[in-house]
Amino acid sequence: MRRKSPYPYWFFLPAGAIFLVLFILPTVASFYFSLTYWDPFEARFAGWDNYVQFFSEPFLVRGLTNTLVFAFLTSGLKTVLGLLLAVLLTSGIFAQGFLRSVVFFPVLVSTIGVGLLFQELMHPTEGAINLALAAVGIDGPGWLTNPSLALISVALVDVWRGVGLATLIYIAGLATIGQEYYEAARIDGATRLQQFWRVTVPLVRPATTTVIILSLIGGLRLFDLIWAMTRGGPGFSSDVLASVIYKQYQAGFWGLSTAGNVILFLMIAFIVAPLAWWLNRRELEA
Amino acid sequence: MTRRGYIIGAISLLVAFVVFVIPFLFVAINAMKTAQDASSLDFSLPERWVFWENLVTTVQTRDYALLLAYWNSIVITVCAIALLVVFGAMVGFVIQRRPSRTSRVVYAFILAGLMIPPAVVPTIWVLQGINLFKTLNGMILIQVAYGLGFTVLLYRAFISTIPRELDEAAIIDGAKPWQIFFRVVLPLLKPVTLTIIVVQSITIFNDFTHPLYYLPGRENITVQLTLYNFQSQFVSQMNLLFMNILLITIPPLLVFIFFNRQIVAGMTSGAVKG
Amino acid sequence: MSRVELKDLRKNFGGLEVIKGVDLTVEPGEFCVFVGPSGCGKSTLLRMISGLEEQSSGTIEIGGRDVTRSEPSERGIAMVFQNYALYPHLSVRENIGFGLSLARTPKDEMRRKVETVAETLQLTDYLERKPKALSGGQRQRVAIGRAIVRDPEVFLFDEPLSNLDAALRSQMRIELTELHERLRATMIYVTHDQVEAMTMADKIVVLNGGRIEQVGTPMELYERPATPFVAGFIGSPRMNLFEGDLAREMGCEVYGIRPEHLEVSETEGRWTGRVRHVERLGADTILHLEVEALGPLLARVDGSRTFNPGQTVHATPNTDKEFRY
Repeated sequence: MRRKSPYPYWFFLPAGAIFLVLFILPTVASFYFSLTYWDPFEARFAGWDNYVQFFSEPFLVRGLTNTLVFAFLTSGLKTVLGLLLAVLLTSGIFAQGFLRSVVFFPVLVSTIGVGLLFQELMHPTEGAINLALAAVGIDGPGWLTNPSLALISVALVDVWRGVGLATLIYIAGLATIGQEYYEAARIDGATRLQQFWRVTVPLVRPATTTVIILSLIGGLRLFDLIWAMTRGGPGFSSDVLASVIYKQYQAGFWGLSTAGNVILFLMIAFIVAPLAWWLNRRELEA
Repeated sequence: MTRRGYIIGAISLLVAFVVFVIPFLFVAINAMKTAQDASSLDFSLPERWVFWENLVTTVQTRDYALLLAYWNSIVITVCAIALLVVFGAMVGFVIQRRPSRTSRVVYAFILAGLMIPPAVVPTIWVLQGINLFKTLNGMILIQVAYGLGFTVLLYRAFISTIPRELDEAAIIDGAKPWQIFFRVVLPLLKPVTLTIIVVQSITIFNDFTHPLYYLPGRENITVQLTLYNFQSQFVSQMNLLFMNILLITIPPLLVFIFFNRQIVAGMTSGAVKG
Repeated sequence: MSRVELKDLRKNFGGLEVIKGVDLTVEPGEFCVFVGPSGCGKSTLLRMISGLEEQSSGTIEIGGRDVTRSEPSERGIAMVFQNYALYPHLSVRENIGFGLSLARTPKDEMRRKVETVAETLQLTDYLERKPKALSGGQRQRVAIGRAIVRDPEVFLFDEPLSNLDAALRSQMRIELTELHERLRATMIYVTHDQVEAMTMADKIVVLNGGRIEQVGTPMELYERPATPFVAGFIGSPRMNLFEGDLAREMGCEVYGIRPEHLEVSETEGRWTGRVRHVERLGADTILHLEVEALGPLLARVDGSRTFNPGQTVHATPNTDKEFRY
C-alpha cells in the first residue's frame, strides 16, 4: 500500500469541476451542435450545412477574411510600434515613467467606453479628428461610414488601445538584455541603428514571440470593440467571426453561430499553435 | 540626462499628449457640458459647467440602473476573485509540487483555456441545463472558468520559488494536506495573490462580451452593459454618455494609480520566458 | 530514547537503484552520523527514516515499532533541515509551536512548552520576531527548538550546519554535542563533512554508492578502515593510496599510508622525492612530494621543520600503520 501523497489530486476538484462543466463541456458540445440546425426549440442534425454556408455566403466569407485581416494587421502594428515605443521609453528620456503610464493606461479602460469615444471622434462631419484635419486643409474620410475603411479604422483604435501592453512586455524584455552587449557593439563600431538591428531585435525575441502570440489571439477573438464602434457595419463590411457568432445567435441560428465558434477555434489552433512552435524553435536556434 | 534626452522626451510628451491624453480630456470635458453644447462634438470648453447635474441625471437614468450595475459588477468581481484565488492556488500548488502525468494533463487543459475562445451558445445551453443562465452565480462561475488559466499560470510559477522543505517540515509537524496548503503555503503567496486580484478585477470589471451573452435582463445589468444599453437613449445626450464612460473608468484608474507595480508584474509575467 | 533498525532498505528512482539494501541498527541514545560524498544516498536514507521518502522495499523500526508504513508525523521523529525550513510568515513562537497547534494542544500548555524550549536555546528574547530578523545561528536554534518541542524519540539532522560560516559551524558543533548529552536522545545526523562526523559521532556510517561501506566509532574508522574508500574518506589530509607496482610489491591491490605516518628525512629513507609545495598550517606542515615511480605523496611533518620547494627529501612509512587491501 502506498502512503497518501501530501499533494492530493482532490485539490484539482473545485476548479476542475467548474472548468470542466463551463468550459470543456461546451467546447466539446460545440463540435456536435455545429453540425445541427439548432434554435431555441430544437436541434436537428444538418451534416456540414452550417460550414458550407459559412464558406459560400458572401457576408459570412467576408467575416472570415476580415477576422484574418484584422488579427494580422493589429498584431503586426502592435509588435512594431510596441518595440519602438519600448526602446524610446527605456532610453532614459525626460518624463519616461509618466509616458509609460500614459501609453499603458488605455489597456485598463473599458473597451466599450473606448469604442464609443472613438465613434464620436471619428464622426465624418462633426468628429474631432476630421475637424482637426479640416483645420489644416485636409478633407478627412468617413472613418466608420466608408465600407472599405471601417475595419481599418477599428483596427487602428484597437492598436491605440492595446499597444501599451505590447510596450510593457517589450520593456520587460529589454530589461533582461545586458548593457555589456551594447558596450561590446559600440567598441566594434556599431551605429545606433546597427545596435538596434544586431543586438536589440535578436535578443528581445522572447518578448516578440509573446507579443505576436498574445495580440494574434486577441485579434482573432475580438468582439467588444467592433461591436461598440460599427456592429459589423456599414452592411457587413467590418464583420468579424466574433460579431457574426453574436448576430447569428441573436437571430436564433444557434447551429450556424456555433459553427462560427468552431471555425474560430480551429483558426486559432491552426494559426497560433504552429506559429508559437515555429517562433519558439527559432528562439532555441538563435 | 542629455540635452538630446530632453528634446526627444519633450516631443514624445507632446505626441503622447495628443494621442493618448486628449481623448480622455475629450470625455471629461464633454461630460461637463449641456446636452446641446455636447452634441456639436467639438473640442471646446463647456459654455456652462454642469458636472453635478450630469452626474445626478446619469445615475438616475432608468431607475438608478448604474447603481444596480455597479452593485452587480462588484458582486461578480469579488466573488469570482475569491474563488479564483483559493481554487487556482490549490491547482497551481499540486501541479507544481507533484510532477506527474495527471498534473501535466491538467496543466495542458488549463493553458489551452488561455487560447481557445469559449463556445458561447453551447455554454448558454449548459448554463440553462443547470439553471444558472441569467444568474449572478452563473456569471461568477463563468468568470472563474475563464480566469483560471492566468491564475494557475502565475501561482504555479510563484510556488516553484517556495522551498519544498517548508512543506516537509509541516508534514513532520503532523500537518494534513489542507493544513500545509492553508497554513503554510497560501500565506506565503501574498505578493502574487495581490497581482492576481488587481489584474483579474480589472479584467472582470471591464468584461462586456460575457455578461452580454450569459447575463441578459434588466435586473442583471453590469457596468459595461450600461453604456451599451444607454447608447440609444443617450444619442441626443452625448454629455450623459460621456459622463457614463467617465464613471465606469474611475475604478480601473484608481486601481492603476495604487497598484501600478502589481499590474506591470502580472501583465508581463511569462514575457521573458516566452 | 529509542532504537532505530533498518532492514534491507532499498530505494529506486525510476529504474535507478539509489539505496541498495541497507541494514543498520542505531542504538538508543546514540549520536549516529551518516557520511559520504554527494550522491551516495545519505540524505535519501535519512528521508526514508523520516517518512518523507517512501522506501521501495525493506522495513524501518523505531523503538521496536514497525513504522515502515506510518506517516512522518506518527514516527516519533523530528527533523532539522539544511536551510532550516522556518515558516517565514510566523514568529519564532509560532514556528516552534506550529506542530503543537496542529495537534490542538491547549494554549497554556503550548505556551509553557515553547517558552521552556526557548529558554534552553537562549531564544526567549526573540520569541516574537520573524525568522527574517534573526542571524544564521539563531535561525538554526529555532529549527532545533521546533524539533525539541515535539519531544521526539529520534532527532534527524540533514546537513544542518552547511549554511553557516566556519566559526559558527564549530560553535554549533559543540552546542549540538552538548544538546545530545543533555537530552540523551537518539540522533541521526547527515553530513558530507568528515570533520563533523569525527568530532560529533558516537557511531559513523560511511555510505558510498547507495551501500554502507563501514560502520564504527570515529577511532575505529580512522585506525581500521575496512575499505580503501573509507581509508581515503576519513582523515585529513587524506590517506595516500597506491595501486599498481608498489601495491604488487607490497603483496596487495591497494596500498595506503596516512600522511602523518610517514617519516621525512633530508638524508635517507625508503622513497626519494622532490618537494613541490609546502602548506604551512602552523603546528603542522603538509608537504606535497613528487616521488619517482610513485607519483604525488602527502606527508605531515612537525611545523618547526623547514622545507623549500624543489628540495629533495626522503620518506619512510611507519610499517605498523600501513594498510593493505
